[in-house]
Amino acid sequence: MEIVNKPQKRRPRIFSAEARVAYICLIPAFLGLIFLTYLPLLGVLGISLTNWTGLKSPEFIGFDNYVKIFTTDPYIKDSIIATIYFAILSVIGSMIYSLFIALLLNRKIPARGFFRAVFYVPYVLPAAAIYVGWSWLYEGNFGFFNYLLSELGLNKILFIADSSYVVPSLSLISVWLAGNLIVIFLAGLQNVPVVYHEAAEMDGANGWQRFCHITLPCMTPIIFYNLLMSLIANLQVVTPALALTNGGPGNSSRFMTYLMYDQAFVNYKLGYACATTFIIFAILAGFTAILFKTSNKWIYNEGGDDK
Amino acid sequence: MSVAAYGGRLKSKKRRDRMMNILTFVVIIVFTILALFPIWWIFRTSLMTNAEIYKYPPSLIPQNWLFSNYEKTLEIFKFWKYLWNTMVIIVPSCLAGTFTATLCGYAFARLRFRGKNLIWALCVGSMLLPAMVTLIPLYIGWTRGLGLNDSYWPLILPYFCGGGAFNIFLIRQFIMSIPRELDQAATIDGAGYFRILFSIIMPAIRPAMIVVALFIFIGLWNDLLQQMIYINSSDKYTIALGLTNFRGQLKSDWSLTMAATCLSFAPGVIFYLIGQRYFVEGITLTGLKN
Repeated sequence: MEIVNKPQKRRPRIFSAEARVAYICLIPAFLGLIFLTYLPLLGVLGISLTNWTGLKSPEFIGFDNYVKIFTTDPYIKDSIIATIYFAILSVIGSMIYSLFIALLLNRKIPARGFFRAVFYVPYVLPAAAIYVGWSWLYEGNFGFFNYLLSELGLNKILFIADSSYVVPSLSLISVWLAGNLIVIFLAGLQNVPVVYHEAAEMDGANGWQRFCHITLPCMTPIIFYNLLMSLIANLQVVTPALALTNGGPGNSSRFMTYLMYDQAFVNYKLGYACATTFIIFAILAGFTAILFKTSNKWIYNEGGDDK
Repeated sequence: MSVAAYGGRLKSKKRRDRMMNILTFVVIIVFTILALFPIWWIFRTSLMTNAEIYKYPPSLIPQNWLFSNYEKTLEIFKFWKYLWNTMVIIVPSCLAGTFTATLCGYAFARLRFRGKNLIWALCVGSMLLPAMVTLIPLYIGWTRGLGLNDSYWPLILPYFCGGGAFNIFLIRQFIMSIPRELDQAATIDGAGYFRILFSIIMPAIRPAMIVVALFIFIGLWNDLLQQMIYINSSDKYTIALGLTNFRGQLKSDWSLTMAATCLSFAPGVIFYLIGQRYFVEGITLTGLKN
């Protein structure tokens, strides 16, 4: 028994009590891992190999669903393009916006708590309500943005009802929602050692140089975390399509998760939807892997700072 | 460098700093106005007549603040019922999720048992699994396997299972930052493992537990997809479902739709104002502990 050999262990009887307590504590996690995570994951794979519609009992059809998705599916290509387009715009937009706001908030300004609250508050509003609210700002005739355009002497735009503007319009909302990124950036900025800045200032470095050579390198681990989180969240985007656009106009906002929802819960093609799910999963995993792969090239690790 | 020159440089630096601070303040105010503007526009619309909404040029402030719009909205938009339904889902989920995440986090942080590394690896692995992947099998399991159609249970019960690996991870990290000497002292005094958990660990990690509760709250609060899938009948609608549906019914009555939107905003803002400190602390925690 390897357990008995552990150095601190003198009385095995107590140890077994310890293990018993641990297993009792972990019952919820066991249930969750088995029934909510790993069995369903196998389930996706299994169901994706069938033609299950929820009515008849499923038949095994091999990789037919996957073949169909890659050859005849009318939506998948548009869907992948729309999702990646949305994710890239949202991720880049919200990273720049939130880093910029965090840099401002990190300076000595009065009422910092108030300002921080202002930028964070969109994040605690129910997402569905946010999209409904913004749909009025984007309204085609009387919406605020069209008022601005007409003041500037430009033509009106239908925004979320126009297939070429719907994705950028929705991305703008998701940039506005990036309050949690701001808070994390702010915490990271406060951890950048002041001595570095002081030393650089002594050497005559200006603000921009200090930002490029001190702040940014020290912030790379935080930037990576935020980048990863917002990429994963934005690639799974579904709420705007559910609350507002129903994937339209045309297929221009038929995001991947919405496509899966539509196949499974509107058309009841469960087997087919599971195949789609698995492809989406592969795409998500691919993006995550690329990000991790490139990370060691640009993440600056302060030696010994990590435990 | 002479002392006088150094002093001069300091002075000019001071002046430059003050200029920069004023500039920062101006820029931050501009951005604050931009960030709050959509909310104000929605709110101001909710207090207007439809004629006023369509006027050109639109006014920034409503002529007479028509709070009666809210009364009208409440007749059709059953806000209080939706809020109650939402709370029926959120409150047990937050409590159960926080409690079970604490139990699991405690086991991983403090106790020694066989298979710990394997189970921990499985836990961390499940963090990398996007939530949408398991949606369809879980739906089939809950509705076909357990017959839970049109029910809140599929939304609540997952939180009785540790509240998600991410929350377990958070609690574990937090417990590990608490000195072990505290536990050891209690052990010498004859306290059992559960006793240590409840009377020493839990009080010490209260901030982390509040943070986990807030995360579960926000997750459910922002969710629409799962609620759409599991809830069918309109008297079980949550705020998110109710509002989405309400908008569909009243496509063009913008003042009432915006009133309903503002009503849906309100609880989130109130919760945020109450728990602001913990929100900020908690998010900071996730960013730095990784």
